[in-house]
Amino acid sequence: MITEVDRRSVCDGVGFRSIRESRFKTVRISVHFFRPLEQETVSANAILPFLLTRASKKYPDYTKLNEHLAELYGAELDADVQKMGDRQVLSVSITGLADRYALNGEKISGELSRLLCSMLFEPPLQDGMFPEDGFEQEKRQMIETLEAEFNDKKLYALRRCEEIMFSDEPYGVGRYGTQEQIRALKRDGLTKVWQQLIHSSKVEILVLGDCDPEPVFCDFSAAFANLGRSGAEECPNFVKKTAAQVNDCTDKEDVAQSKLVMGFRAGCAEPEKSVPAMKLMSALYGGTPNSKLFLNVREKMSLCYYCGSAYNPTKGILTVQSGVESENLERAKEEILHQLDDVRAGSFTDDDLQAAKLSLCNSYHTISDSLDGLEGWYLSKTFSDQGRTPEKEAEMVSAVTKEELIAAAQNVTLDTVYRLTGNEEKE
Amino acid sequence: MGTESKIREISSERAGEHYYEIQHPSGLRIFLYPKEKNNSTYAIFGTKYGSIDNCFQATGDAEPRRVPNGIAHYLEHKLFESEDGDAFARYAKTGASANAYTSFDMTCYLFSCTENVYESLEILLDFVQSPYFTEQTVQKEQGIIGQEIRMYDDTPQWRVMFNLLSALYHTHPVKIDIAGTTDSIAKITPELLYSCYRTFYNLNNMALCIAGNIEPERVLALCDKMLKPSLVSSVERIFEPEPESIVKPRVEQSLSVAVPLFEFGFKESVAKGRASVRQLAETDILLEALASPASPLYRSLLDDGLINEASFSHEYFEGPGFASVIFSGESSDPDAVADRIRREVGRVRREGIGRDAFRRAKNAVYGRNLMALNDAGVIANTVISLAFAGRELYSYIDAVADADADAVLSRLETQLNPDLSAISIVKPVR
Repeated sequence: MITEVDRRSVCDGVGFRSIRESRFKTVRISVHFFRPLEQETVSANAILPFLLTRASKKYPDYTKLNEHLAELYGAELDADVQKMGDRQVLSVSITGLADRYALNGEKISGELSRLLCSMLFEPPLQDGMFPEDGFEQEKRQMIETLEAEFNDKKLYALRRCEEIMFSDEPYGVGRYGTQEQIRALKRDGLTKVWQQLIHSSKVEILVLGDCDPEPVFCDFSAAFANLGRSGAEECPNFVKKTAAQVNDCTDKEDVAQSKLVMGFRAGCAEPEKSVPAMKLMSALYGGTPNSKLFLNVREKMSLCYYCGSAYNPTKGILTVQSGVESENLERAKEEILHQLDDVRAGSFTDDDLQAAKLSLCNSYHTISDSLDGLEGWYLSKTFSDQGRTPEKEAEMVSAVTKEELIAAAQNVTLDTVYRLTGNEEKE
Repeated sequence: MGTESKIREISSERAGEHYYEIQHPSGLRIFLYPKEKNNSTYAIFGTKYGSIDNCFQATGDAEPRRVPNGIAHYLEHKLFESEDGDAFARYAKTGASANAYTSFDMTCYLFSCTENVYESLEILLDFVQSPYFTEQTVQKEQGIIGQEIRMYDDTPQWRVMFNLLSALYHTHPVKIDIAGTTDSIAKITPELLYSCYRTFYNLNNMALCIAGNIEPERVLALCDKMLKPSLVSSVERIFEPEPESIVKPRVEQSLSVAVPLFEFGFKESVAKGRASVRQLAETDILLEALASPASPLYRSLLDDGLINEASFSHEYFEGPGFASVIFSGESSDPDAVADRIRREVGRVRREGIGRDAFRRAKNAVYGRNLMALNDAGVIANTVISLAFAGRELYSYIDAVADADADAVLSRLETQLNPDLSAISIVKPVR
C-alpha cells in the first residue's frame, strides 16, 4: 500500500505534513527547526531542544513532567539535533499510545499535542531566562554525549574523518559544536536564541499515526499566529563535486582493532537527476551482504567483520568504513579502491545490478511500515521534492541503467583517508 | 506426512490483534502473526541453542559432551554457506534483507522483505536445514570472527557487561563471551559443527515465526514442502551447580574511553523453570517505579550529576539458570550511583510504592508494550524468544494490565538483594 502525505502550511515558513494511519498503535508529533550550520551559533542552538523538552510553565518540575508522561501510558518527549547537509536540524517530538488503547478511556492524543505545543512556546522563564538548574544539567549532558562518542570507536573514526574532510566547510562543524563551546554557553543569551528559533527558522511539523491531525493543526496554528512571523531565514547547502587532493590522516589510540574510514566526493547530490544512480552504485559497491566490498574484503580476503559504504545524497558524499588489524590497513584500502575501479569499469553482471535494485526497493517499500521510517523519509525531503513517496523513489532507482551507474561511479573521487590505529604489538 | 498441522488462534482484545500457533507434524512450532496492512514481512527461524550450551547431553549420548566456547555463534556464521553457494547470494535474487544472531540461549536466522515473501521463506527454510562445513570453509571464518571478537574487545558496553557477569556468576556459562575467544574458536572443526548441528537443529528444538503481510495457508503449504521431519529427541543443558553467592562485589577494567561506564547487578537464586509472565510483568513495573525518569531515585542521580539521560537504563536479565536485575550507564562516580540505588531499594522495601507511583509505572509499561506491536520485527523476535521460554505474548500484556501493587512489591522478597550485588566499571586509561 502507498502512503500519501497530506501537505499544507501553518503560516509563512512553517510547513505541516500529516499521515493518518490506523494500523499504527501510536501517535507521533514532531517539530523540526532548520538553522544554517555555523560555528558561532551551533552550540546555543543545540542546547535548545533539550532545554525545551525538560520543563514548561505548566510543568516546571522535571519529575512532575515525567510523572505526567508515565501516566499518559509511557509517552515519550524527545529532543534531537542532527545535520542535514550544511543545515542544523533541531527537533522536538512526542510519541504516545493511540486513544483507542487506553485502559480507562483517556484521551491521549489531544494532550500530546497541547503538551508539545506548550513545551515549545511556554518555557518556564525566570527573570526572562531559562532556569539555572536545567541549563547546567543540559550543558553537562551534552558534554557527556560528545565524550561518549569517543567510547564508540566506529562512530569516533567516522566523525574524525568528517572533521578532516570538511575542515573548511560548514559541514565540518559538529552538530553540537565542541565541548569548549558548550562549556562557554551563557544562560543570558539563550532566550534570544530561542525567540529567533521560533520566529525566523524554517519549520516543519509532522503528524503521523493513528490520530486526527486537525486539532494538532489548530494548536500549532494558534501558537505560530501569536508570533506574527514574517517568513524564514535561508539555509544554504554547499556541495563540492570533486576532491582536489587526498587528505591522509592517522591517529593512534589504545584499541585492539584499527578503523579505516575513506571519504569520497560522490559528484552528485539532491536534487540532481543522477542521485538514484548514485544510490544504486553505493548499494552494489558496499551496501549489502551481496556487495563488492562485503564479498571481497570480508568473504574472500577475510580481512574484516564489517566493510560497507554509505551515500549521503544531501551532502553528495560517499563513505566507506571497515575495522581491521593494523597490518592489514593498506591491503584493505587498496582492495576498497580496486573494487571501486571495477565498478567504474563496468565489471559487474546484470544480476548484480538487479540485486542492488531489489535490495534498495525493499528498503524503500519498508519505510511506510514504521513511524520513524516515515518521519525520516519526509524530513529528508524538506528541501527537495516534498511529495515524493518512497514508492516513487523505488521506481526511479529501478529505472537506472548499467551505463548510468557506471557514470555515477566514474564521478566519485577520493577525498580523505582516515585511520585510527592501535598499538602495534598484539595482546 | 501422516498427520495434519494443529492450529490454535491466540487473540488479544486489548491489542486488537491475533496470531496463530501451529504444531507442524515435522516437529516444528510455527507462529504466524498477520499484519495485513504492512508492506513488509519479517520471518525468523530459530533454535533454542546459544552460547551457554557448551555442555549438554542429547538422547543417545552415553555421557555429557563439552564443546569449545563460541561454537553456537560460529555455526551461525557457517550455516549461511551450503554446497551450492551462499544464502546471501540467493536472497540477492529476492531483495530480502537477511541476517542472523546468536544470543545466550538461542540462534536465529531472519529476513525482512516486501516482495517475493515465499521465495525468501523457501531460502530460509532450506539453508538452515542444509549444513555444509569443510576444513577450508571453517578455516576461512577464523579471520572474520577473529575481527568480530576484536571489535567487541574495543566495545566498552560489551566489556563492562561480561565483567559484571564474571563478578556475579561462579560457574554459569552466561559469563563467557558469546563469540568465544580467538583461542577457543581455533579448536572448532567441521566434525564439531556437524555434531552440534545435529543435536540442536532438530525441528523439535526450533521455532519459526513470521509477522507481516502473509497468507497463513500459503506459508503452511510451503512448510509442508520444505520441512524435513526430525526424529523426536531431546537435549539436556548441563550447568555446573551455581552457588547463591556472588564472586566479587567490584570489578574494574581500563579501556580507551572518555567517560567511565558501569553495570550494577543484583543476582537472584534461580528455580529450575523460567520466571512466569506474571513475575516478569511485576518485575518490569517494580523497576519502572524504582528507576524510571519519573522516580525520586532518577531525579536525585540526575540532580547530582551522577547519571545522564542518554545512557542510564535498567533491565531484567533473565535466562536458563540465571537471573539478575542490572542498572547501567555512564557516570563520573559509579560507586556513588550503586550506593544510591542500594539505599533507594532499602527505602522502597521499608516504605513501599505509593498508589499513584504504582499506577503510573503500570501505565508506562503497558503503553510501551502495546506501542512495540507496531513493528513486525519486534513482534517476531519477541514471540520466538517467549516461545523458547515457555511464555506467550498477550498473557504477558494482560499480566501487566492486571498487575496488583502488593504482588509487585513482593518481588522484593527475592529480588534486589544488596548482599548479592556487584558493580563493574570500565574507566579511562590514565
